Amino acid sequence: MEEKGFTRRDFMKAGLLTAAASALGPGVLRPTGLWAGTSKIKGPIKVGYQAIMSGALAGYGEFHKMGVIMAAEEINASGGIAGAKLEVQFRDSTLKKPQAIKNARYFVDSWGADFLAGVDSSGQALALAPVIAELDKVIIITHAATEKLTEQQVYKKGIRQIFRISSPTYQDGNAAAFVAKDLPAKSWATISPKYEYGYTCWRMFKNTLSILKPGASFIAESWAPFGTTDFRPHINTILDAKPDGLYSTEWAGELITFVKQAKQAGLFDKIKHVMFPVGAAMDVLEGLGKEMPDNIWISGRYFFLYPDNNQNREWVARFKKRWNHYPAYVSETGYSAMFAIKKAVEEAGSKETRKVINAMEGMMLDSPAGYRIFRKEDHQAIYDVPWGLTKTDPRYPFKIMGKQILVPAKDCFNRPPFEGPGTKPPF
Amino acid sequence: MRKAFVITLCILSLAGLILLGLYGTRFALYLATRIMILSIFAMGYNILFGKTGLLSFGHGAFYAVGAYGMALFSLHINPHPLACIVAGLCLAFIFSLIIGFFCVRHTEIYFAMLTLAFGMMVFSLIWNLRDITGGDDGLVGISRAPIELGLFSIPIAKANQFYFLVVFFFVLSIAVIYVINNSPFGLVLSGIRENDRRIEFAGLPLRKFRLAAFVISGVFAGLAGSLSALLESNTDPFSAHWSHSAEPILVSLIGGIQTFTGPLIGSVIFVWLREIIERFTQNWMLWFGLILLLIIMGFRGGVVGVLSRIHRIILGSDTQSQRIA
Repeated sequence: MEEKGFTRRDFMKAGLLTAAASALGPGVLRPTGLWAGTSKIKGPIKVGYQAIMSGALAGYGEFHKMGVIMAAEEINASGGIAGAKLEVQFRDSTLKKPQAIKNARYFVDSWGADFLAGVDSSGQALALAPVIAELDKVIIITHAATEKLTEQQVYKKGIRQIFRISSPTYQDGNAAAFVAKDLPAKSWATISPKYEYGYTCWRMFKNTLSILKPGASFIAESWAPFGTTDFRPHINTILDAKPDGLYSTEWAGELITFVKQAKQAGLFDKIKHVMFPVGAAMDVLEGLGKEMPDNIWISGRYFFLYPDNNQNREWVARFKKRWNHYPAYVSETGYSAMFAIKKAVEEAGSKETRKVINAMEGMMLDSPAGYRIFRKEDHQAIYDVPWGLTKTDPRYPFKIMGKQILVPAKDCFNRPPFEGPGTKPPF
Repeated sequence: MRKAFVITLCILSLAGLILLGLYGTRFALYLATRIMILSIFAMGYNILFGKTGLLSFGHGAFYAVGAYGMALFSLHINPHPLACIVAGLCLAFIFSLIIGFFCVRHTEIYFAMLTLAFGMMVFSLIWNLRDITGGDDGLVGISRAPIELGLFSIPIAKANQFYFLVVFFFVLSIAVIYVINNSPFGLVLSGIRENDRRIEFAGLPLRKFRLAAFVISGVFAGLAGSLSALLESNTDPFSAHWSHSAEPILVSLIGGIQTFTGPLIGSVIFVWLREIIERFTQNWMLWFGLILLLIIMGFRGGVVGVLSRIHRIILGSDTQSQRIA
């Protein structure tokens, strides 16, 4: 990862200092000088951020950090949050549930965090829910996509401290079905991860597409366990079934491996309509470079060329300048999460959990990804992310989204109360 | 002299635990609870590893079975915590009996590989039986209902209340393991470790003793698992993974496998050290690994082994003479 040196290092130092101080005991490091007493809100606003920073997916953690650090720098350079300084500490979530819980407890009970954010895995997010209720701090999920979190934990169980700023599985399953219904493909197959995320998305895709296009058939499934490196058996299974379309929620390094092996097997010549709901992640696009075939349907939780407006363009330029990378979707969600905290605290005039929740429910946030509205019932941010066809562009060393189709979030996101008629698309 | 020292140490530790429960912060209680759960896991495991001399790579499976048994009972039948824990223990007992039956036919590397295979089998069972186990999401929403004891009920929902439940099981486990270790049965286990041929020649059923050690350690793993499910209010399929099975081995090695308190001290070091390192660097895995390597390489017989050797040197002739006497 490129380091731009000075400012970031300073930031890390500050992080280390606070870590050291909290290890020595509370009360050692109190805000002084510029940040003390300038507002009604006491002390700095502390955010504990956890993401995967070790192992094969460590790249995701780096992208999270880039977005969050940049947001903290920008917020603090322009006067902080209602005059209070924003401090962020990062911890490796390791994708393991007990670690996620320990991190959350450490942040709140030992470090004194006012907010929590991050979390990549759905299992971790679900495991955190009761802990968040006990700790009574707002958490903003920036990556984990399971709809169970917002539908069951927030809406049904009423754990109001949980918010999600990234798009959930609706984008991967339902929105994909809206795109697929207009394609000439009739029979569909999948190669997807053999865990809840893969199963859920495929089920959603099937259900929604069957309603939208009654003739559609789903003829083959092949489930690849976590850590699969050889996709050839899966590819052969699918090729034998001869589907018109392939839908795959493989992601990160495994998607890269899969695409390379599928290309060798000639899969993209035999199957004309291929959809990767999380193919528009920067690690995949950069990792595959020119090897990503053209005319593949991809999407994500944000794509740096959408929305095509000045605000987003400027943000991407700033990001590129700061980190020498194009922002991944977790960079955008991490960045926007910090600004969501800023806006909520400033509107509430307090960092007290109850008041912040009340401010955040229904709050509209202007972010690089466009306007987001935190739905009052389930605390899911509603915003649009396009689906697009990959194409070669001489300006970029990787494939970008060419032709784009936008399925508005309000049309493809499940609606409360999430059970019974009229809660699942199409509406 | 030595006995008095040990008794004083026990009383002081117990007092320390109680004081921590009364005055500790929520995070300190949480870490202490995790240390105690890991200790129960490791001390039980050490009956098989340090005492009987069998290296198992599959005890994470029994930990997970305990957790899932507890959670399933809690979610579908009755949320009474004690009943749930008993359910977890029973399931762990059944699983360790069946798996142990096949594994104890072999020793050394064959035994280790068999346990590894069975452990991963349990892992994939949990992973694939999505309708029952929730797949990789695990079972969520396990509540800490109050313990109803006829006339009165004890709430365990809060961190400090639950802490004392774990202290209770922790102390109970230590006592039971101490009794097992110092019983004739424990002596036979040591004998099996030192020379299994002689035990056979003495007319003792070798496999049955091995199986008994296996099941006892499996049940303690189940206890640790069910307590952890209560602590975190969820279950994790990765608790059956071999990487989790390696934890009690590591902890026992740190503390000293031939000592009674080794796994306990190892657990304290393991959890506490990791927590400290994570505060200073995100490359915690590297530093943690290096320090563990130093401890395991540098302290022969584990931390407790070295400390008790130093202790013996200080007391010197006193213990020597006692031993001769």
